[in-house]
Amino acid sequence: MLEIKSVSKNFGGVQALKDITFQVEEGEIHAIVGENGAGKSTLMNILSGVYTDYKGELLWKGQTLKFKNPRDAQIHGVAIIHQELNLITELTITENIFLGREAYTPFGMLDNKKMDNEAIKLLERLNLYINPNRKVKGLRMGEQQLVEVAKALSLDAKLLILDEPTSALSENEIEKLFAVIKSLKQEGTTMIYISHKLDEIFQISDRITVFRDGQYIGTKLTKSVNQKGLIRMMVNREFEELFPNTTAQSGDVVLEVKNLFLSDDPRKGRHPLYNISFDLKRGEIIGVAGLLGAGRTELLETLFGVNNPKRVKGQILINGLECHFHSPSEAIDAGLAFVTEDRKTQSLILKMLVAHNITISALKKFLTHQIIQKKDENKAVQESIKELQIKTSSPDVLVSKLSGGNQQKVSLAKCLLTNPHILLLDEPTHGIDVGAKAEIYALLSRLVSDGASIIMASSELPEILAMCDRILVLCEGRLTAVLPRSDATQEMIMEAATEFQTSVSDTLIPQL
Amino acid sequence: MQEKKLPALIATPDRKKFGGIVGKLILRSQSYFGLFGIFILSIILSPVRNGHVVFLNPENLLNIVRFASENGIIAVGMTLVIILAGIDLSVGAVLALSAVGAASLMMRSDWEVIPTLFVVFAMGAFIGFINGVITTKVKIQPFIVTLAMMTIARGIASLWSGGYAIPLAFGGAGAPQAFKDMFAGHVILFGLEVPVQVFYLTGVAILVSFILRNTGFGRHVLAVGGNEVAARLSGVAVDRTKIIVFTLCSFLASLAAMLHAALVNQGSHIDGNGYETNAIAAVVIGGTSMAGGSGTVLGSVMGAIILSILDNILGLRNIQSEYQMILKGALIILAVISQKQKAE
Repeated sequence: MLEIKSVSKNFGGVQALKDITFQVEEGEIHAIVGENGAGKSTLMNILSGVYTDYKGELLWKGQTLKFKNPRDAQIHGVAIIHQELNLITELTITENIFLGREAYTPFGMLDNKKMDNEAIKLLERLNLYINPNRKVKGLRMGEQQLVEVAKALSLDAKLLILDEPTSALSENEIEKLFAVIKSLKQEGTTMIYISHKLDEIFQISDRITVFRDGQYIGTKLTKSVNQKGLIRMMVNREFEELFPNTTAQSGDVVLEVKNLFLSDDPRKGRHPLYNISFDLKRGEIIGVAGLLGAGRTELLETLFGVNNPKRVKGQILINGLECHFHSPSEAIDAGLAFVTEDRKTQSLILKMLVAHNITISALKKFLTHQIIQKKDENKAVQESIKELQIKTSSPDVLVSKLSGGNQQKVSLAKCLLTNPHILLLDEPTHGIDVGAKAEIYALLSRLVSDGASIIMASSELPEILAMCDRILVLCEGRLTAVLPRSDATQEMIMEAATEFQTSVSDTLIPQL
Repeated sequence: MQEKKLPALIATPDRKKFGGIVGKLILRSQSYFGLFGIFILSIILSPVRNGHVVFLNPENLLNIVRFASENGIIAVGMTLVIILAGIDLSVGAVLALSAVGAASLMMRSDWEVIPTLFVVFAMGAFIGFINGVITTKVKIQPFIVTLAMMTIARGIASLWSGGYAIPLAFGGAGAPQAFKDMFAGHVILFGLEVPVQVFYLTGVAILVSFILRNTGFGRHVLAVGGNEVAARLSGVAVDRTKIIVFTLCSFLASLAAMLHAALVNQGSHIDGNGYETNAIAAVVIGGTSMAGGSGTVLGSVMGAIILSILDNILGLRNIQSEYQMILKGALIILAVISQKQKAE
């Protein structure tokens, strides 16, 4: 149905796509995988009419097609749902779906009734039974995603492109989205599905196309490949090489948490963290697993002094001394470091240079009489860039210009410059490519062998199972299991993570 | 669905090629280029007397800087506030209150210069401190806090002065002559009578520019303005940084008030009316983005000088002040358009 024929695209001197040829068949779910920078998004931008100056041609049901702009692509039935949702949160569901294409009564007034009815029908097709007059900002992430899908459906999309649709969704929400995708497939919609999460791709797709360095590597029937084979195609390297060999060397206890509570709001009496106790030894990596909203992030934040101390109860002992941090800067002084989940909103200052981002946490080291010693600063920055192999043309470019993996390395470099002995990592490999992941794993294992200790929250179970000496499993803010690596399995973790599953769906905190 | 991001997406790759180095340089140093352009334009438009271009007369040029000094000093403080993605609407009122305070203390209470300055500057800084504390601890937007502070400060100024201007007479039984010399005097330099205001402006600009570029505090200001959440999680004392910036901004308004009072020989509760918008205009013309996170102090000083040249040349040509207002507005929009180009 869609044929991509020797498509190439240059940006300045860089060839982002080299002579790509493959077909998407009618009614299939076609997954596209590849590391960051492999050319996936460039191709999607061509398919959805954003880039119009490319070589080669697109054939749509045998006819040559050249979109003038995204609206033109929409008219031809191509809709794209981006990783970052494009909804206006202050408007209602209906208003979002029909934005720019509102229906009018003969008197020139908005025909709200007609639009609402239409919206209800669309939402019902997606098994979403909510009032279309609700504002989008009150919806959960998964529901917002479905509103995007509804918007695409209202355009009567023949080809739906989903770019990392699950990156912000919980397990439950992903299940629901997959059910919707499957039913759309039965209705005959063709879909292109882009994701970093290989297990999802195996679960949902019919065929998989692999890109590497802007080149087309191959298309396989999903049934005919396994995860290892796919990774080999993507990175030219074996799956086992991803994780370094870490051996636990149990040292002294460096961090002890006793009966830790975090209350949401004293009046509501809800507890994002409820009676948590554990300890962390020198040179140890502890994994924190759990569903979205289980309290993983809250645990790390509380240890780091992010939350108002009035909300925190219980004891946190670092090297035997009780600590009550009122702010992150106190935690940093005590030797903690926190690599946040969302590097763009919580970690990096996108308007600042790579160099200044790296030194912002440890700026004190470079001050004499409050004046920054630029020579010392530059030297430290150069060393960090070299040590973490950050790929940047110069330390003096804006950090926003780097790729996701390199931005994550900048985040890490910033934390490491404060010489922490306890590292708190929240989804340290979220949304970055396999190559950068391997480098980060290697770095973490180097750090622990040098005597640092790590607490790492992650939703990627293979990562947790391979990297961590012990695994804490949270469910609804409670610690439901502590598993040593030797006898932990994915099933055991999932079981502990869903111990209170019946009520989970009611209490999940929407992540905005 | 995607339309908002479109122009940027389509335009970025190719436009860069055409831009070239010259274009980049012009954009990067927008305020200097603007200053240069206005300067050339003024020479062309200037009346000529006895074969001399009046505009280029050294006394005229020094006058331009002198008249830019009050706005320039306030704009320097405003730059830091705007880099923090904030705004300070109370600077004009703080100027009035400080001028009234200085005039009242020296004329009615016969105070000496040093104690007067001490009290007035402390008062100015304290108002900024309160702005900062309410903004950070009670978490009210700076627009609202400083809007309220604007009317409060003007109200106090009016009560203090009794509702009319307090004239400043220097020497004898009046205010100390030292005040006049200190804030409205001249220094002979290379045979030229250089107004002292020029030194205040230059000193403040260089000092604050150095603080912004070369100190830990300056780096923290840029970090908080760029991403407050990330700055806090990186260990930056966000609240303290903001409070210091508001305090500094308000203090600089007090300093400008001394220049103002010494120049016009009075302190009045209606002084400094509209100065907040002039300062914001200078900052914006200087290339600082209202979104926060980036900006230059020297650009804002250029902005203030550009506005001053505009006043000067139109004055030399006897053009009504109404046209000045219209031109000023057009200039602000031009400056922002050129900023947008830079962002792309």
